Amino acid sequence: MKITTTQMGLAARVENLGKTYGTGSGTVRALDDVTVGIRRGEFTAIMGPSGSGKSTLMHIMAGLDAPTAGRVWIGDTDITDLGDLELTILRRRRVGFVFQSFNLVPTLDALGNILLPFDLDGRAPSVLEKARIDGLIDALGLRSRLNHRPHELSGGQQQRVAIARALATAPDLLFADEPTGNLDSRSGREVLALLAEASRTRGQSIAMVTHDPVAASHADRVLFLGDGRLVADKPAQTAEQISAHMLAADGDDTLVQTRRAEVGA
Amino acid sequence: MSAVAASVEQATLHVPRARTSFAWLRERGMGASILVAAISTVFGVVLIATTDFLAAMLRADPYIGDSGTLAFILGFLTLLLVALAVYVAGIVTANTFATVVAGRSRQIALLRLIGASARSQRARVASQGLIVGVLGAAIGTVLGIVVSAAGVQIAIVRLGLDAVHVAPVTLSMLLPAVIVALTTWLAAWIGSRRVLTVTPLQAVSGSVPLATDEVIARRGRHAVAGILFALGAVALAAGILLGLVSPLGVVVAFAGGVLSFTGITMAAPLVMPPALRLVGRALGRSAPARLAVQNAYRNPERSARTSIGIVIGVTLVTMFAVAIESVKAVLTANAGGELDPELASIMDTFAAIMMGLVAISAVIAGVGLVNLLTLGIIQRTRELGLLRALGVSIAQIRRMVLLEAVHVTVTATVLGVLLGIAYGWAGAQSLLGSVPTNPDGVTPAGIVWPAVPLGPLLVIVAATAILTVAASVTPTRLATRVAPVAALSE
Repeated sequence: MKITTTQMGLAARVENLGKTYGTGSGTVRALDDVTVGIRRGEFTAIMGPSGSGKSTLMHIMAGLDAPTAGRVWIGDTDITDLGDLELTILRRRRVGFVFQSFNLVPTLDALGNILLPFDLDGRAPSVLEKARIDGLIDALGLRSRLNHRPHELSGGQQQRVAIARALATAPDLLFADEPTGNLDSRSGREVLALLAEASRTRGQSIAMVTHDPVAASHADRVLFLGDGRLVADKPAQTAEQISAHMLAADGDDTLVQTRRAEVGA
Repeated sequence: MSAVAASVEQATLHVPRARTSFAWLRERGMGASILVAAISTVFGVVLIATTDFLAAMLRADPYIGDSGTLAFILGFLTLLLVALAVYVAGIVTANTFATVVAGRSRQIALLRLIGASARSQRARVASQGLIVGVLGAAIGTVLGIVVSAAGVQIAIVRLGLDAVHVAPVTLSMLLPAVIVALTTWLAAWIGSRRVLTVTPLQAVSGSVPLATDEVIARRGRHAVAGILFALGAVALAAGILLGLVSPLGVVVAFAGGVLSFTGITMAAPLVMPPALRLVGRALGRSAPARLAVQNAYRNPERSARTSIGIVIGVTLVTMFAVAIESVKAVLTANAGGELDPELASIMDTFAAIMMGLVAISAVIAGVGLVNLLTLGIIQRTRELGLLRALGVSIAQIRRMVLLEAVHVTVTATVLGVLLGIAYGWAGAQSLLGSVPTNPDGVTPAGIVWPAVPLGPLLVIVAATAILTVAASVTPTRLATRVAPVAALSE
């Protein structure tokens, strides 16, 4: 009998994951034999420079993209060979998303965006879900903004609506892709604190892709990717520790020089 | 006219010198604009050729001879019909350019950032309209002349009219081309107004795309529309009252109809959104339906322009159908229960020809709808990717796109049929209110009930269904191809 993902205490995991783009000499290896799990109830940051494969890893783990090798589980569901409709429904019911920008459907108001996953299922939220959504709306300070369209909201407010939507279904996993990338530092800190709190108080499993050491410092665990491989798996870190690690991992080239210059300055 | 032609030529020649490459012609929307210009030009050329042919036929007829009045009426009718087609084509083109400009706003912002003036940018878009118009007009003229020559030949052989002689090409056949090229230019200019609202800052800010175009208040235009409508309504009522005593009421009512309908068309941005809302509610509360319906409100002016062309076509087709059917009903009653079959057949033929001719404007509007929905999907790639990521299935995307088309076509058709019945009835009433229909042969008809013929109504419903499906084929194909990752990669 095989041990399951949830028995391992994981919300999602990938095994020997590989992803290549193109064929022949033009092949690009985005992910190379990655095996990792996202622990349940934890806030995990996935770090790496651009081109490290962190976004590809997230897309595959979230059922947005298909791997070329290896297997993927969300909860106990092996999603590797699922068809488009099954993946779509899985994303709708069991995965929450917070993107960098353009998170909300512009024609729906804030409440319409929060309730979209339920509407797509053709059902109203249950009493339990209603209570959860109500709580989220208050906790995220969105009560007075519910009938506003996205373009009437500030960037921080938009991200909070996206977080409310992502948490409304209490998904197995919440994926956040550079959720603070478009925000000023104050709104960014606010969003990160909200994510950390969701994982602490609600036991929400969160995977956040970022290249910002400050953002990653809010996480319980930091995974480092480089050249399509998992290079390190560390517990909670300070922003300085993360920066130092990134510099050390980035052994060569001018990029390091500029980064050093930045840190020095 | 030669001055106009010269200025057209000059402007065309000017473009290559301005180092313009023609890559933009492959942009989506341009092909449709050329098609729209070509259709209206073909229509104009064929109508003129037909008028010429009919006039020649009358001249060749020893009993009728040279009828100036008939020639005048035919010429007037041709003018009205061509003006109608060109007007609808203008609305469609203005809408297409407005949409294309919206899609280009980032590029325009970038050019503004490096120093291009808003006016020069707008002039560039307008000159593209002129090129599109000239291309479409040229293609349409050639096609129209070929079609007309073939039609005339067939008619001569079929009807044995060896005595009828018409020139295959006349100077007047070039007139539609000039009109179409110029109106396309004008339409592109009107449609490109939004260029002026693009700021250089839009190139650098990663802001959320605005959900709605800024609705530019145009009180003056709407006031004119309101006055036209009010005047027209008064004239219509007067015509109907006058019709109770004299058939000449129809002349007054006709003027009223033209005025009031022009008012409605001009006020489309005020008239259409409430109608769209009403039909939108009927489409249900499912997520795909709500997303589809909301889409029509994000650009109220664009939606209004898209649908008003169809409204115009359907209104006029219905009007002729209802008017003729009502007239037939009254004449039947007047004749004591039976209408002269020859007269009935003449009236049916006249109605069918008129319906066919005004339906051209609906076809042009249909091309506009297909184009607009397609552009709408292309410009929403990112949003569609987001929807897919959040769990909208392919089937739901498909339903959403179809409902988007249904929303516009059903609203336009229902409104058009209702308006058509009203205008058709007004025509019949003002013409025949004084005709005796009662058995005593003296008491006038008084109120003529509108008779709605089933045949044309079914054709309208079928055409609407076909248009809806045709309008959603390409957008559906494009929309279902959008991968969820597209939402994240931009």
